[in-house]
Amino acid sequence: MNYILHIFIMINIYFILALSLNLLVGYTGLLSMCHAAFYGIGAYISTLMIMKHHVPFIPSLLLSVAGAILLSFLISIPSLRLKGDYFVLASLAFQIIIFTILYNWIGLTRGPYGIPGIPRPKLFGIEIDSIPSYFIFSLIVAGICGVLLYLIKNSPFGRVLKAIREDEIATAALGKNVMKFKIIAFAIAAGFAAVPGVLFAGYMRYIDPTSFTLMESVFIISIIIIGGTGNISGPLIGTVLMVILPEVLRFLSIPDAIAANMRQIIYGLLIILIMRYMPQGISGEYKFQ
Amino acid sequence: MSILELKNVSKSFDGVKAVDGVSIGFEKRKITALIGPNGAGKTTVFNLISGFMHPDKGEIYYRNKNIVGLQPWDIARMGIGRIFQDVRVFDRMTVLDNVLTAFKNQSGEIAFVSVIAPWRVKREENIHKARALELLDFVELRDKAMDYAENLSYGQQKLLSIARLLAADADLFLLDEPTAGVNPQMVGKLLEVIRKLAGEEKTVIAIEHNMNIVIEIADWVYFMDEGQVISFGLASDVLEDPEVKRAYIGL
Repeated sequence: MNYILHIFIMINIYFILALSLNLLVGYTGLLSMCHAAFYGIGAYISTLMIMKHHVPFIPSLLLSVAGAILLSFLISIPSLRLKGDYFVLASLAFQIIIFTILYNWIGLTRGPYGIPGIPRPKLFGIEIDSIPSYFIFSLIVAGICGVLLYLIKNSPFGRVLKAIREDEIATAALGKNVMKFKIIAFAIAAGFAAVPGVLFAGYMRYIDPTSFTLMESVFIISIIIIGGTGNISGPLIGTVLMVILPEVLRFLSIPDAIAANMRQIIYGLLIILIMRYMPQGISGEYKFQ
Repeated sequence: MSILELKNVSKSFDGVKAVDGVSIGFEKRKITALIGPNGAGKTTVFNLISGFMHPDKGEIYYRNKNIVGLQPWDIARMGIGRIFQDVRVFDRMTVLDNVLTAFKNQSGEIAFVSVIAPWRVKREENIHKARALELLDFVELRDKAMDYAENLSYGQQKLLSIARLLAADADLFLLDEPTAGVNPQMVGKLLEVIRKLAGEEKTVIAIEHNMNIVIEIADWVYFMDEGQVISFGLASDVLEDPEVKRAYIGL
């Protein structure tokens, strides 16, 4: 039972990641390669706040969201002036820089040793200490994030983002400050990516930089590509599929030595097949071109 | 009274003078045609007016305010609307959403407001929706409101972009070859809409290659060749100008 709940907790975590990245990829048409960096920033800021400065859980969550938003400006303001492909490269560079900092600033993050013994989140005096309660907690958080992102995506703001995805020049010619909208969309996505980072740290009770690598960013992108972009159901289907898939592989008797490689091969194959035969993903409205 | 005035505007690309010392004015509530052979610099003039390019020299006054150096979205918000040669509708959005996007000062465009006051955004949306449907009526696209814009014909897409500019509250319409590539029936409809615009206190500047259309709709004509305005006046006079004939037909 706990094993199943563990999978559902991971689905909740990745669902928030996929939904928030979808705001960039599916709505604004920005392919961001640094979503895992903001996920990691969220995990590290809240962990350090809780363990070093004894900040309570909810303020630590808010601080990590604020931190991710502030750091998002570091990359979005200089790079969003550049055209499409350069933004992808800049986000890739940011991802690698953040990972390198987490890995090498040993005085702050303990680098590759990671941070063990992270306390369970405490809300209004209640400690969320069992797997079932953590499942419910993560479900509520994912639900709140889902509702907020739904409101944002279906608002006039979200409509302008879609217009930017369709045609940036025409959007500017209608009087929309395209740069401002992109910077804000990027900040919102970064802020929401920090939340699952906090959930992850509180659940695993141990974090190290290898959870927030470029591969992780690619994994989140592939959730969106496979599930489909532009609405809620795409990221949900993608998340469920991509989180459950490795668990299914576990039950096929594949030797441990090649299981990890098999996983990568299957992901790769899946992405190629989807891009070739279903460019909109399983349940998406926007085609990758 | 000119609503828009270019004073000695020049723009070069790699040493080639695309626009060379152009000084022209555009009258309110008139349809002015910008004509001339390919490469004469007409579209560059539009790019300079709408802020997608900045002139090397010269000033552009809109309602007596110099707009050189402003961003395209600032210029658009001042009331200068543009229709591109290749229309640029938002393909994977509905016709209605195309129009709704264009409204100015939507409080729901601030993400935070749409999260904390969704009902307020909703109320505003309803007002905009009603207005958008009126505008779609004006261009006779109301029955297509829920279709994706990519499914419209080319002429319908041009009509949609006019509706979009009306929603954006544009006063001055820059139309880059509005009838090119549009089927003859649709051309009639487009011209009717363009004339209606001028009737509704709007100012229209159109780049147009079809001389019959120029004669039919233009109140005033500027003829450009090699970056310079070499003739202007009433359509019939400009087309009789020997300079124009030479540049156009090589006589």
